[in-house]
Amino acid sequence: MDELSRAQIRDLMAQVLANQGKALPDDDGTDLREIGFRSLDFSELALRVEDETGEELNFDAPGLRRIATVGDVLDFLVTLQRQ
Amino acid sequence: MTVATNGPATPGAEVAGLGNRLVVAGAALTWRELAEPALPSPGAVLAYGSADALAAARHHATYGTELLLTSAGRVDRAMRDELRGAGFTVTELAAGEARAVAPERERPAEPGRLWLLTSGSTGRPKRVGHTLDSLTTVRGGQPERTWLCPYAPGTYAWWQVVTLSLTQPGQHLVVVDPDELDDWPALAAAHGVDAVSGTPTFWRRTLHRDGAALARVPLRQLTLGGEPVDQAVLDRLREVFPAARISWIYASSEVGASIVVHDGRAGFPVEWLDRATPGRPTLSVDGEELVVTSPHHGAGLDGPVRTGDRVQVVDGRVLITGRLDSDEINVGGSKVSAGLVRDVLSAHPQVAWARVTGRRAPLLGRMVVAEVVPAAGPAPEEAALVRWCADRLPDHAVPRRVRLLPEIPVKETLKSDV
Repeated sequence: MDELSRAQIRDLMAQVLANQGKALPDDDGTDLREIGFRSLDFSELALRVEDETGEELNFDAPGLRRIATVGDVLDFLVTLQRQ
Repeated sequence: MTVATNGPATPGAEVAGLGNRLVVAGAALTWRELAEPALPSPGAVLAYGSADALAAARHHATYGTELLLTSAGRVDRAMRDELRGAGFTVTELAAGEARAVAPERERPAEPGRLWLLTSGSTGRPKRVGHTLDSLTTVRGGQPERTWLCPYAPGTYAWWQVVTLSLTQPGQHLVVVDPDELDDWPALAAAHGVDAVSGTPTFWRRTLHRDGAALARVPLRQLTLGGEPVDQAVLDRLREVFPAARISWIYASSEVGASIVVHDGRAGFPVEWLDRATPGRPTLSVDGEELVVTSPHHGAGLDGPVRTGDRVQVVDGRVLITGRLDSDEINVGGSKVSAGLVRDVLSAHPQVAWARVTGRRAPLLGRMVVAEVVPAAGPAPEEAALVRWCADRLPDHAVPRRVRLLPEIPVKETLKSDV
């Protein structure tokens, strides 16, 4: 299956937060700590991306970078799909 | 008992329950009226029908032959060869007709020996030695009952119901074949079944498929075993049968029936641990593993037996949560019991059945995920189930992906590998 767009990943991220009764702000510069998006949430988002694409993400490839904002999460997962 | 199970064969010996009623393949008869197959000893009988399996069991009870009994479908070619190599004549028994293949090597029979094939959840089935006596765990006067037997022939659970009927007058059997399993309540109601033993998966499936039909069966005894038993299934059965005795049993081919609980609660009281009573099993915990020293053990399994089952003590009850090798999920260094998460999900009013597993995930190694079969009515939303769990479990134990399944999966053992 084709890779997901940044907007599609954003929708999935919103779903992760919505399941916990939280909302995803429009601003990609929002700090993850502000919205309580933690490693469990990040991992869940990765699983959702995998489920949508049918492909396993390879987290060993790029080396984890600093991920502090909503935009960082989206950029990272977009990049990861291409590894 | 009148059967010599550990001595020489006693041809023609009378077995106490031979007058009990049987309903098998739609026909009503007694143990005494079953066909009399000619079965060699030592023999492995591969039964094609329920009546064939019962006939082999009665043959063993009467003559004390060495017997391994199983349904034909559980034994592949390699296992047949293995049995012949171990000195068994392998007999296919179909509608009373026996077709025997000689062993590769002859050996003397071990009188009274009964062999069980374990369910083989961790690989190929292995043989565990018993006798009719060590398989008979219900003794003393029992109220007259008509039992449903939904189990696959030759399994430990099957022998539990069969030995009860063979050895105790007034314990009748209605056998349900695999192709009748979905409609067993109608069969049971038609034949006056008032006692049923089944796995939690069996009971959940029945509640899920047709709870109204279940309620029409006049049950006085409900027994659960073979899998972890959670409070939700006990409570749902109690709602349907407020006056019946509801029991759960911990039993296995290796240690026999070791725990029997009648108080309607999951787990057993922590005070039962390390309590030595002559003639009864001693239960203990080593690390997180249940260890049982049982008088009902299989051959060569005397002394403490590590069961491979994981336990946790919660509110004064010892809960058996699942197999050690599959129950623990490590989420970023935090241990999660799949069984306890499953219990929380199963208690949701819109959930009929749940399976909880670990799935490979970035950063954390594994995450908790679940599969759920919805109860009748509107299907629950994933978000609602996640929130239900989040209100009752630590963050790392909350299943983050919940997949809905249309039907409760069940195997021949009536288990679903939860």
